[in-house]
Amino acid sequence: MRKCKFFINFDKEEQWLNDMAKQGHRFINKSSNYEFQPAKPENRLIKIDFRTFKKQADFEDYRALFEDSGWKHIAGTKKSGSQYFEKIDEHGNEDIFSDADSKAGRYQRLSKMWLTLAVFYIPILVVLILTNTVDPTALLNPKLLYFTPGLWERTGAYFWRSFLFETPFVFFRGFFWFFFPVMIILYFAFGIKANMHYQKTLEKL
Amino acid sequence: MSRDKNLPLTETVFYILLALMEPAHGYLIIQKVEELSGGQVRMAAGTLYGAVENLVKLKLIQPVKSEDSRRKVYVITEKGIETLRLDFARMNHMIEVTKKILG
Repeated sequence: MRKCKFFINFDKEEQWLNDMAKQGHRFINKSSNYEFQPAKPENRLIKIDFRTFKKQADFEDYRALFEDSGWKHIAGTKKSGSQYFEKIDEHGNEDIFSDADSKAGRYQRLSKMWLTLAVFYIPILVVLILTNTVDPTALLNPKLLYFTPGLWERTGAYFWRSFLFETPFVFFRGFFWFFFPVMIILYFAFGIKANMHYQKTLEKL
Repeated sequence: MSRDKNLPLTETVFYILLALMEPAHGYLIIQKVEELSGGQVRMAAGTLYGAVENLVKLKLIQPVKSEDSRRKVYVITEKGIETLRLDFARMNHMIEVTKKILG
């Protein structure tokens, strides 16, 4: 079974994966979606860290450390960021973090990733605007998305025919025009949200 | 007198540096820290990983060649030993004045 879900809050994501395990869905992988296998309903403890690695050797060393400590790496790649671990040693720690700083640190890294992405998209948008390829003011005035000359002066059936004819094209144009502005706004929002979780986790413990 | 900016060390960092007077890989550090602290400091994997990364950045510890192909091995640097000494002296001072006042 595959499920599409999006989290900024690691604690909620961990809770959801543990709840799924209780309902007999064993979490086995995460690519763009979460992948589950049918299994006996059981109590499992899944914890998430957020890290990317420059070298494969660093990633291997990281996974080895967790395995030695009783945490099996179940999902995540060198560059994926989110790293999923499942507790396999009954006598081991109940968490992959033992202090508030490091537990919060994963949110700091997540926030940095979203903000970096947002900043990275800005030059692309600037070039598209400067070359007149897109006009983001159309976000406030969608009429700008219609290119038919004199369209808005027309009336009656003549207007509706031209309007409806161009509308499908406008959807594509709009998608392209708004893609970068919307992504930049979303990424900033995710980055700010993750930073709020960072602050909150620091205060909690 | 200006003090070393890394001082005072946290309890965890102090024990990690002490543990790395001999080369060790990640999990071995966790075990040594627990032993040295008399079971008081039990570090989890994610916390240790971040702490080691940070200490490498501060040049207090450094990676060394290891026979284990998967696990990286670290050892304390000269700067690390010096920092340990300074913090040791700081704590010694605290102990002496405390003895005088508290008895």
